[in-house]
Amino acid sequence: MMGRESKETTLITGGTGFLGSHLVARFLAEGRRVVALARNREGMSAAQRMVRLLDWLKVPQNLRRRLEILEADLEVPRGGLDPDTIMDLQNKVDECVHCASDTSFAVGKREQVQRVNVQGLENLLDLLAGSRCRRLHLISTAYVAGKQVGKCSEDLPPEDGIGDVFKDALDTTRFHNVYEQSKHRAEHVAMQRCAVIGMGLTIYRPSIVYGDSRTGRTLAFNALYHPVRAVHYFRKLYTEDILRHGGRKAGALGIHLDADGTLHLPIRVLGGDGCGVNLIPVDFFLRAFQAIRDTADPNGVYHIVNPRNTFISEIVTFTNRFFQLTGLRSLPGGEDLPRNGLELLFDRHVQAYGAYMRDARVFDRTRAEAVLNPVGVVCPAFTYKVFAACMRFAVDVDWGRRLWSDTTTPVTASKQKTSSC
Amino acid sequence: MISEDIRHQAAQCRHYAMCKIDYLGTGLCASGAEHQYVSHFPQGRMDLCDALARNVVPITEGLVEIAETCNLCGICDRQCHFITGMRPVEVMKALKKHVREWLEQGNVPVAPPADADLERLREIVGGQWATNDPAILMTYANDPFPLAGPRMPRFVVLPGNRDEIAAVVRYANDHGIAYAVRGNGGSVFGFVFTDGLVLDMHRMKGITIDAENWTALVEPGVTSFELQQAAVKQGFRVNTAEPAATVCGNIVCTGLFSTWSNAYGVNADTFVDMEFLSRDGEVFRLSDPTAPNVFCYEHQPTSSPGICTRAFVRLHPMTDDEAGMLVPFTAFDEAVSFVQDLSRRRIGLALGVLGGHYLSTFMAPTASLALQLQSTLSETLGMRYAVFLVGDRFAREAVRSMRPAVIDAELFRMLLLGLPNLAEGAWQDLVSGMDGDEPAYELLLRPEIRPVLEAILRPAPETLASAVDEDLRDFYTQLYTRPEMTDMVWLNMFRILSSRMSRHKHMFAFLVYVPMDRPALIRSICDRLRQIADAQGLENDFGFLTPLDLGKRGILEYDYYIDHQNPDDAERIRRAAADFEPYLEEISVTIKGVKWLKNIFSQGCARKEAFLYT
Repeated sequence: MMGRESKETTLITGGTGFLGSHLVARFLAEGRRVVALARNREGMSAAQRMVRLLDWLKVPQNLRRRLEILEADLEVPRGGLDPDTIMDLQNKVDECVHCASDTSFAVGKREQVQRVNVQGLENLLDLLAGSRCRRLHLISTAYVAGKQVGKCSEDLPPEDGIGDVFKDALDTTRFHNVYEQSKHRAEHVAMQRCAVIGMGLTIYRPSIVYGDSRTGRTLAFNALYHPVRAVHYFRKLYTEDILRHGGRKAGALGIHLDADGTLHLPIRVLGGDGCGVNLIPVDFFLRAFQAIRDTADPNGVYHIVNPRNTFISEIVTFTNRFFQLTGLRSLPGGEDLPRNGLELLFDRHVQAYGAYMRDARVFDRTRAEAVLNPVGVVCPAFTYKVFAACMRFAVDVDWGRRLWSDTTTPVTASKQKTSSC
Repeated sequence: MISEDIRHQAAQCRHYAMCKIDYLGTGLCASGAEHQYVSHFPQGRMDLCDALARNVVPITEGLVEIAETCNLCGICDRQCHFITGMRPVEVMKALKKHVREWLEQGNVPVAPPADADLERLREIVGGQWATNDPAILMTYANDPFPLAGPRMPRFVVLPGNRDEIAAVVRYANDHGIAYAVRGNGGSVFGFVFTDGLVLDMHRMKGITIDAENWTALVEPGVTSFELQQAAVKQGFRVNTAEPAATVCGNIVCTGLFSTWSNAYGVNADTFVDMEFLSRDGEVFRLSDPTAPNVFCYEHQPTSSPGICTRAFVRLHPMTDDEAGMLVPFTAFDEAVSFVQDLSRRRIGLALGVLGGHYLSTFMAPTASLALQLQSTLSETLGMRYAVFLVGDRFAREAVRSMRPAVIDAELFRMLLLGLPNLAEGAWQDLVSGMDGDEPAYELLLRPEIRPVLEAILRPAPETLASAVDEDLRDFYTQLYTRPEMTDMVWLNMFRILSSRMSRHKHMFAFLVYVPMDRPALIRSICDRLRQIADAQGLENDFGFLTPLDLGKRGILEYDYYIDHQNPDDAERIRRAAADFEPYLEEISVTIKGVKWLKNIFSQGCARKEAFLYT
């Protein structure tokens, strides 16, 4: 959908990321001018990466002329841009969407995560100070709530106890991982800095974002995808063992293949007693973002979440069905059972997401729904149909390995059965 | 006409002389075994092919014989591929073809010039063991060391015994002929050249095991591999250098060190006695009261005490429960502290910290697989370093109680034989998806995971062989059915994998003795050497670190990699030398326990206490 051309210019950071690239496409479709900040990576320039993404997002060529790509690194002061570029940027940017983020959870990556998520924001705000930019859209996360239990409000939580994040270790009493802590910190930095320079601040807090709810298309294969991918890998591994190598290794783990192609893969998933996982599709995020941006007060915090969590047992059922498996089952609670090798590997895949799989947080949606409901923006339910669309796409592009070479051919259900299993 | 492609292949020979020992049980090049000059082994033919293509050597009578006696049996392809990935048979074919066509055109080979000195030398050693044939001389004139140019000798002599050496030396002294000794015909450091006479000790291969005295009497042509074979047959082990290096030459030169030096020491610890022929042609034993004192150390380049004609090398006992083990680490300092701790607690015999590059290069049969594997080990599994250990069952149990995540002998075999699958993309992606605070190896090395790993890796000789050229797969499959090829103890005793370090490029090794209780200092030395190399655009990496003397000291290897045929790389290393030489010299004189190996060259008989604790 193409809107009227606008002279307004939006600066988008993290333009080559999952959400950032979708937002670039959406803003271009609205007819806005976009300046995308991105880094070079994997031997490709920022522009090359951006073009590849625009192709993938099927952005028409005529819209792309309104896009300017700036190679910048927000980990260094003022993005490493030269003074002329900065002045030009300051004179033309009306609003900024800050998507650039490091989503690593590991403590070992704490410094890197803080550098990107906190110092990167500081550097961006230095860049924008004195500019004509009047509004910052900060893409945060619902999980800044950290280890809160129960209702999490659409407000900034207190900052007490978090000092210099570059020196402080992970505050394990308040956060599950460095990502949560850094995003929490970033919200406070944004609030303080925007207040000083008189810039409006809208904070968007999505939960876990997966692919498009209708097509399954996605650029990122983490979070929901990781453990399912592990199951898919095991399925292929042991099917091959049975069909080509006599199945001795499969048999040792109680794995067998039925005549109809169903593989019995005994993995006990520790599902926990919590409220499941909060998943939203990227298309919902985009519509919600747009609605909040278009109608809301420039200042505010909004949870972009699913009103209904998905239980791990549901995902397990979906996975069995999609990959033609039996044996994969969800166990309530964190039972202290001896684990076999497959289960240990699987556990490790979901270890980082444990807090999200067994979520005890309930995200308040009052402010967001006040904006979204009137315009009919509703989060789709995470049904088997949605799950299947996402996994079909994931398998089709080999979990991202063929993302750039094979992105358009749809896979039929029957074809999927043979190609993925 | 020799094509540029063939010439380029020929010029890549690393001169490791591995084609002169039967390290894979393939047998030796028949022509080399018969004629014994370097020129008649594949290494020499590679040099000659390169030289012919560059038109810097005539086709001589010797060269015709060299070309004609190659029967294209293919042994060199198997031997050379195993360590360098090269396929010399194509070069051998080109050399034979070139010479044959040249002869068919009616050309007459050049006869070596008549030389009275040569005749006298032949009287001493026998007619076939001294030559001045320019083609044969050419193979003793150059080595892949980028900072030393070629020097063509006048003669090459292969003495058969000590008396012949003495007579040759006396003759050379009397007639003003300079001489240099090459234990196995090569010198990878490029320090052993002369425009006079080269003494190649290859014929002197006597080994006598004295089981009562725990010693082996070794002649100067005996290689480390050959001595180890002889020792193992009688239930002993020796501390040896690289397999093709001669034992005597290596002791005299660098003092001989390995991961076994943790238990067996270095330099003078290696031998009980040695016999030398002085520069004046006099024979003496180090244990003689009047012998020169070579047990001391001078912090300056010194000349060797003479030509080592025999060494009485220590033999060490083995137990039947020895096995290898690798203990992975993510952080360098942690690995260093751990290996030092093992050493001071007397846990383990062979010990060392290996870098990811070392480990992957040793294990992988091809350079491309090694590159993939390095990424797998370091990035995917988080195993940037590994402490290597050989120990008896008590030692290994102790290590397991200190660090549960280990690669034992069985798992090592599984990983090695399943290497192509270990480096495979989907598996790597799966492991990469395990975001967490602990390195992936900690989980993957748990016993419960082993059945899954076995399914993923499908370890088998055929699996490993699938990584090499199709026509070599049967050979590799057969090779890896032999238990010793996956046995860390055997591989580390015979060191047949060490030459793989020069597979993708010629290796330029820095060896520095260091205080083991200062990991930060050791890291800073590595960092400085890395900075110097990076500034010149030279590939570089940490090699290994072995503790010595109960963990008080250690020997560090840091490596630069160069294309020895690329003049730009030679220039880069020359410029780097302007930085690393003064740096290493400075830390050698200012920091206790630090000594750069440069000044220990030719002082390999020195007691380690003479340079480690000054």
